[in-house]
Amino acid sequence: MSSVFTRFFSKDYQRKKALARVAPGPLADYLATPFPDRKSDCRDIPIVALDLETTGLDPRKDVILSIGLVEINHFGIRLGTAWHSIVRIDRDIPGETAVIHHITDDQSAAGAPIEQLLPELLQRLAGKPMLVHYSAIEQNFINTACQRLYGGPFVVPIIDTLEIGQRVFVRRNHTIQPGDLRLFNLRPRYNLPQYKAHNALSDALATAELFLAMADNLYPGRPCPLGEFLSRR
Amino acid sequence: MEVELIEIRQFLEQRSPFNYLGQELLDQLPKDIEIRYLRRGGRFPPKEGFLYVVRSGAIKILDSSGELCEKLAEGDIYSVTCQLVNLSQCDHGEAVEDTLLYMLSCDRLKALCRESKSFGEHFSATVKDRLRAAVTTTQESDDPAVAAMMVEIGSLIRKDPITIEAGTSIRATAALMSNRDVSSVMILNDGKLVGLVTDRDLRKRCVAIGLTGNEPIDQIMTPDPKTIDASTLTAQALMTMTRMRFHHLPVMQHGKLVGMVTATDLANHQSANSAYLAADVRKAKSVTDLVEVSKRLPSLHLHLANASVTARHIGEAVSCLTDSITGRLLEMAEAKLGPPPVPYVWMAGGSQARHEQSSHSDQDNALLLSDDVQPEHDEYFSALARFVSDGLAECGFVYCPGDAMATNPQWRKPLKVWMGYFDRWIQSPEPKSVMLSSIFFDLRPVKGRIELFTPLQQNILKKSQENRIFLAYMMANAMSHRPPLGFFRQFVLERGGEHDDTLDLKHRGIVPITDMARVLALSLGKEPVNTVERLRACAGTNVLSADMAENLEDALEFIASLRIHHQAQQIKRGQKADNYVPPGELSELEREHLKHAFRVIQTMQESMVKRFGADKLG
Repeated sequence: MSSVFTRFFSKDYQRKKALARVAPGPLADYLATPFPDRKSDCRDIPIVALDLETTGLDPRKDVILSIGLVEINHFGIRLGTAWHSIVRIDRDIPGETAVIHHITDDQSAAGAPIEQLLPELLQRLAGKPMLVHYSAIEQNFINTACQRLYGGPFVVPIIDTLEIGQRVFVRRNHTIQPGDLRLFNLRPRYNLPQYKAHNALSDALATAELFLAMADNLYPGRPCPLGEFLSRR
Repeated sequence: MEVELIEIRQFLEQRSPFNYLGQELLDQLPKDIEIRYLRRGGRFPPKEGFLYVVRSGAIKILDSSGELCEKLAEGDIYSVTCQLVNLSQCDHGEAVEDTLLYMLSCDRLKALCRESKSFGEHFSATVKDRLRAAVTTTQESDDPAVAAMMVEIGSLIRKDPITIEAGTSIRATAALMSNRDVSSVMILNDGKLVGLVTDRDLRKRCVAIGLTGNEPIDQIMTPDPKTIDASTLTAQALMTMTRMRFHHLPVMQHGKLVGMVTATDLANHQSANSAYLAADVRKAKSVTDLVEVSKRLPSLHLHLANASVTARHIGEAVSCLTDSITGRLLEMAEAKLGPPPVPYVWMAGGSQARHEQSSHSDQDNALLLSDDVQPEHDEYFSALARFVSDGLAECGFVYCPGDAMATNPQWRKPLKVWMGYFDRWIQSPEPKSVMLSSIFFDLRPVKGRIELFTPLQQNILKKSQENRIFLAYMMANAMSHRPPLGFFRQFVLERGGEHDDTLDLKHRGIVPITDMARVLALSLGKEPVNTVERLRACAGTNVLSADMAENLEDALEFIASLRIHHQAQQIKRGQKADNYVPPGELSELEREHLKHAFRVIQTMQESMVKRFGADKLG
């Protein structure tokens, strides 16, 4: 665990370092907001659950198609904070991914360009841990967009329910079968309902619920120190 | 906001009472929701000031002594913490499974109640309003095609409206009413209906408080009376009047006053449905003819149920027919056996006596004979009883399993013996006699020398009223049927957490109320035997508040109408009608209202047990 400490300690350091280099603008404003203390109780702080739909898995070639997020506050998911936006992209949506996210070219054409959406996303994330399921996608795609548009890195404390799930399996000496750690395979273990919809907002909500369930089971009725949940990424 | 992307709206909109919110409010609903997770064993509610909907998992709710009150499963709603006056002791609990909760703040709930009336009715502070709303919703949902066959109220109006100008003196109004021989008059101002005055108003609001009669009628009228449209169906109007306790309703057509209907007009009309059957009963020449007429009883039941007639009126219609059939059988018996050697009266007991029969009730009856009866006369009365009882059985009224029938020599006795029976039952109550009480303490003369019955009834009322131990035993017996706690998933939830597959509407809902009404009436020496009449007669006394009386009446009507409709479905399918409803057959709203009805019954049972000292019996 000590590595997590140092990593996170260095995350706030990374934030300040990036802030010093980046030009004034949405990313600078974002980086100017301090991250919560790693000793904070997750039950007391706002956390943003996020999901992105993308055209593929490679942030160098693929782009963000839609953004969905919802905020957790005092361990309650506030649906009034839910936000969903479709990105207008500069190319056709590959057929093989459309099967998953159901976003059509027409819907995308009616969306807003990423240049317009990224400032709002950064504003909503400022000063809050980002809660995702499998963090590589979200962090890499937002980072790539930030580098391209603002010339600086996207630094963010991350809570990853896939990592927490993995830890629970290991702690219980369970062998992990392929697919066990997928969002919709983990949820039934906590008696969470199955959702039919598959979109960025619905998945962000599903992730938020999963996190509440995991945290309450790991720390029943007790404070949940943020540091214990932060990803190494 | 794109909340339609999450399936919360779909989840809520198919559930009562959220389904009463309009599209617009439903669209807005999700953004006011907060979601929380409770692991198994977690404390409920997680925080105060919210309404909770279980999305998945289960919660048990306990009272202050840790006793189970109810269990909530997927889709169940808990709003106790939002109620202004929280009378419920059942205010905390814990998750019995890992649970996901949707929460809506009480402030937002109150705003929604203001914006949508039908939604708001569901959360009305009083059980009375809720049950009342329930009776309406259940009955209005009837097959419109069937209801359309019913007569419209306009066709019942026989005379032009009797009206008087506002400002007329009370005395002049009274004079007009007695002149035209009407019990009510409508007050007009510029041709517009502004008020209503009835005989009762003249008594209560004028004479009783010492007005001179020279005051303007406006002073004692009911202003802006509720009116009814001429196109309203009679069954519907009767229901409205029963429920609102109105006896008079002005009838409007195209915004114009066209006349007045009274509850009596409507009741007469309704019983006309059964009147053609009664006429056939009178014309019947043989038992075979009567059997033919009786075969139409189930369809009468069905017809009345479809026409949204209240359970109470159906009970009355069926009981009246049983009376007619009994009377006709007695005439046939006398024709066959000759005139009776001494006067007698045929008495009905149980549900027939209470005017609460359904089309498949058992027969409970007895013979009260003149004290002049001689041993050799018994041959006659035995044959008479046999003839009538067998006839009733052929007509579908099965023999009483407890042998409480006039064919049993024990229940075919002169007045002095009957007096002795009741004296013994009342003065030294024992379990057996208390068991018979539900039959013989609901007793009504059907045919014969009615005067024989009067001294018996007077004696019962006088003695039972004075005997506290008897009343304690009766109340203890009334506790042998208790309502369940409510429902959990597809089961009936029992005290202690047990589950049952079916709900016995009769023994878990109707009988407890009937039993309590009997104890109340006997304790106050009230004559009525009909449960609703008993409750009304006892309302406003120190044993039964007016509010509680109304709550019980509404609970009874709600449960009884569920039973009527359940049985109507069975009759329609050609099955034998029974009292057992699987919870899965009940709508969510019906389950919710049943829970409230059960709570009313439970509260009253607990208070009566203490009041009558039934808890102190060995």
